[in-house]
Amino acid sequence: MHAIPQLLASTLLLGGIYALIAVGLTLIFGVMRVVNFAHGEFLMLGMYLAFWSFTLLGLDPYVTLVLGLPVIFGGGWLSYRLVMQPVIHASHNVQIFTTVGLSIALQAIALVLWSADAQFVRTSYYAVVVRFGGVAMNLAQIAAFVVAVLFTTGLFAFMRWSYAGKIMRATAQDRHAASLMGIDTGRVFALTWAVGITCVGAAGVLLAPIYPVYPSIGLQFVLIAYVAVVLGGLGDMVGAVIASLVVAFVEVVGSYQIGTAWKEVLYLLLFIAILVIRPAGLFGQRGAEVIGT
Amino acid sequence: MRHVKWTVVVGLVALAVGVVGALQAQPLSGEYKIGVLEPLTGNLAAEGKRHLEGYEIVRDLINERGGVMGKKLVFVVGDAVDPTVAASEATRLATREGVKIITGTFSSTLCGAASEAAARQNVIYWETSCVDPRLTKRGLKSVYRTEIDGTGFGWYNVEFIAKHLAHRLGKKTSELRIAYLSEDSSYGQSVTESARQRAKAEFGMEEVALEYYTFTTNDLTPVILKLKNAKPDVLHHIARNQDAILFWRQAREQNFEVKAVVHAGATGYGSPDFGKAFGNDANGPFALLEPGPGLIIEKLRPEGQQIERAFRQAVKAKTGSDVPTGGHQLAGGGLWILKLVLDAAKSDDPDKFRAAVLAMDLPVGSAINGWGVKFDENGQNTNARVQHYMLQWQGGQLVTVWPEEFTTNRAKWIPLGAWDQRK
Amino acid sequence: MRGPWPAVAFFAAAALAPLVVRDAFLLDGLVLILLWGTTGAAWNLAGGYAGQVSLGHAAFFGLGAYAAAILGTRWGISPWIGLLVGAALATAFGFILGFLSNRLRGPYFGLATIALSQVLLIVASRWRAFTSGSEGIPVSFRPGFWTLGIVDKRVWVYVILVLAAVLYVVQLYLERSRRGYQLAAVREDEDAALSLGVPARRLKVAAIAVSAALTAVCGTLWTQYVGFVDPLYVFSVDLSVRFCLFAILGGIGTPLGPFVGAALITILETSLRARFGGIGAGLVGIYLIIYGTALIVTMRVAPQGLLPWVGALLRRRPDPRPTG
Repeated sequence: MHAIPQLLASTLLLGGIYALIAVGLTLIFGVMRVVNFAHGEFLMLGMYLAFWSFTLLGLDPYVTLVLGLPVIFGGGWLSYRLVMQPVIHASHNVQIFTTVGLSIALQAIALVLWSADAQFVRTSYYAVVVRFGGVAMNLAQIAAFVVAVLFTTGLFAFMRWSYAGKIMRATAQDRHAASLMGIDTGRVFALTWAVGITCVGAAGVLLAPIYPVYPSIGLQFVLIAYVAVVLGGLGDMVGAVIASLVVAFVEVVGSYQIGTAWKEVLYLLLFIAILVIRPAGLFGQRGAEVIGT
Repeated sequence: MRHVKWTVVVGLVALAVGVVGALQAQPLSGEYKIGVLEPLTGNLAAEGKRHLEGYEIVRDLINERGGVMGKKLVFVVGDAVDPTVAASEATRLATREGVKIITGTFSSTLCGAASEAAARQNVIYWETSCVDPRLTKRGLKSVYRTEIDGTGFGWYNVEFIAKHLAHRLGKKTSELRIAYLSEDSSYGQSVTESARQRAKAEFGMEEVALEYYTFTTNDLTPVILKLKNAKPDVLHHIARNQDAILFWRQAREQNFEVKAVVHAGATGYGSPDFGKAFGNDANGPFALLEPGPGLIIEKLRPEGQQIERAFRQAVKAKTGSDVPTGGHQLAGGGLWILKLVLDAAKSDDPDKFRAAVLAMDLPVGSAINGWGVKFDENGQNTNARVQHYMLQWQGGQLVTVWPEEFTTNRAKWIPLGAWDQRK
Repeated sequence: MRGPWPAVAFFAAAALAPLVVRDAFLLDGLVLILLWGTTGAAWNLAGGYAGQVSLGHAAFFGLGAYAAAILGTRWGISPWIGLLVGAALATAFGFILGFLSNRLRGPYFGLATIALSQVLLIVASRWRAFTSGSEGIPVSFRPGFWTLGIVDKRVWVYVILVLAAVLYVVQLYLERSRRGYQLAAVREDEDAALSLGVPARRLKVAAIAVSAALTAVCGTLWTQYVGFVDPLYVFSVDLSVRFCLFAILGGIGTPLGPFVGAALITILETSLRARFGGIGAGLVGIYLIIYGTALIVTMRVAPQGLLPWVGALLRRRPDPRPTG
């Protein structure tokens, strides 16, 4: 069928973005054991960053991405110190509600400051379409995909080979042992959180040329990210990437075969199914979900 | 001491001036308060605010023309974020503020709760925008709606497709292949279902696809591929906002060719956001709305011309735009009719009000938007009187193209043709 | 805040208010405080007392709402029966959730509850033939007690007050009884409780099922009060989070907490709206910022909620009698 190449292309493009969002989320969980319910709001803030840079400073989103990275990182670090640090040793429930509170507050602030009106970043190349082999793809989406891949690869390299990455992985494995080894877990957490936020903020900047920007746009992406993260195993970054592609595939093919009306049900049922059958996810450690740590 | 004395004197003079000034500020004898309920925060706020603006513009016009029942029209505004709040706010407006009439509420999910609460407080509910067909069918005596409901939208859309598009496409209506695509909230569902019914029952059009989606969807490519397989002549697409933009962009990427795209309402293709997003590339799709540029005001009746001109001038003064938005037109148009009714009834007593409403019979072209007035027993302004118009995106702007007798513009690009050809 | 006096005061005030207050708007506020407080209390059974934090309780609320609405509009069945049907359905789903709670902990469970409520939302929005889809269901108003068609808000206050009292008592039971102690043990440390022979699994499932059923009852009452069921509202994550908010801000795991939380929130919102209404409509959104910030601050300063925190403050006053 001539639709298959296009469906696969869509899967790839969507999955790439989901992966960038999911990777940040799973990193935060892996090292800090916190599910960040405000992840979608940081995505939204990244989109607004791109929008305001474009509107007020005339900066192209890809330029904003490079220049804005320290800003996003700094914002992440700040949000950790102000909001998360005081509760980092508290119970799960306290942490859950702290991030829920953060999510409510951030969305509300965006609403009050910028209103609910949808904003657009209409770059000069927004309509450029790349076609080959019977497949049509939006240039901005391809760019987003490529940058997402580069970013994620960079993140993996960082985690694998840099000293800071090693420390983060050690903390993820066993925070108590890590601190016994002299690792300042407090700073590791701050770094992890900031890196996770940077990933999702960058994803936001990449999405700004493609989607309209409004305060509640975070939810539609982040719900999928939760599914991908659980499917891949909370804490497993490679798993998150693969799972993102799987979820994108289910979405796209499900839309085509069964009907767009039911695609959310599909991945939500998939989600519940995973939670029932293999909550640790495809690649997670069995039993992790019961211990919850 | 001297300073104190002078200060006191100056203060008294200022006070006197202030008091006199305040007393002089009311030209009309007294005020008449009504409640205005719109979503001003939350997801629907953008449209809710446009409605409120429309109300305010026409309120000022009304006060320049003798107010209502000889008094100055004044608003008390409530924010209807969700159904619970809509009900509470309606109650507050009725009891705390003592209004006898509440108008609003734009969204189908809010008007149900709001009208229910108003009815329980024995207050008149004057709906100007929501399209839920059941609003006026619940047997509530004092619930009225000036705008057509969802079934009316569907009715008009099919009217346009059958009476205008079909012959320009060189096909009989029973030969037309029509695909339905819609966002799946209350709005999309009510319009689409009524269009489907009329298209099939009255004209025998062939339905080749039916797809609902959540308007916050990230990707419509799979749907577009399915539509391509279905090869429709006309796409009946009811969109909410961002989804129209997403669809249009992706349809172009996928080179989806269809002969016409028809929508209804001030959202999606009917919203200025669509033009903002695409500029000239927005050209082509149709949206059923209140009259836009190209409307031959002279075709309206004299009283209609006067008020329509004044309305457009006021909109321009307030927003800088030559064209009122759909929200302005719905709210403003509805409020104007309320004034006409109150002037006729000379009372807000529910029974006298109702009598005046049912007695009113104004032909098309009498009021703002070129509307007429004839309410049925359920309090619904009838389809035929609430003249709706088909607008088309041309030159990056929505212009009125149908009915042809009302406008200078003509529909272009039937069939739509290739994506790059529509300049 | 030990002792029953705060609760007695609260319920007494609520019971006496309709005799004194005529203003329908104030009564409406009271009805909502009681209704949301009761819903928060129902959530508290699972979230506060059993420690199973659910972010999808709107699923049960919506089931109760739809049961009453559909039975009422399609077959003219009394909403009191709809209430029972809704509660039964919610209990069934509650068992499912309970089953999940035994396999998942902490954030995993929370995510599962969100998924469940979203699935119900989508089904309700799409199943046009049965639920009227996204258009929702306007609930026909037929005057009379049997049809819960009550106009007089004073009567509504008493109807909901009964349910509120029931929920208060149930929570109290969980505080004082042996079962309640066992549940507290499960909440604090499930493995330790298991090792002591506490039937942890059954208790958790029971707590969630009861919580679900009572939440559904609140949903039914809400439907009859407001008169319109909208799937996008009644199953929304926003609504679920509100239920948690009432309990958490007021006092999670205390019987009066949810009511206090609901009172604070309802009063704040309503007064902000009445004050800023049309003019500063943008400012009205501030209440959401307040909730978010309050939640963050509460989690940091008073994770048990306002009531216990105030109680602890009061107890720290210098005591003239020497302590052991």
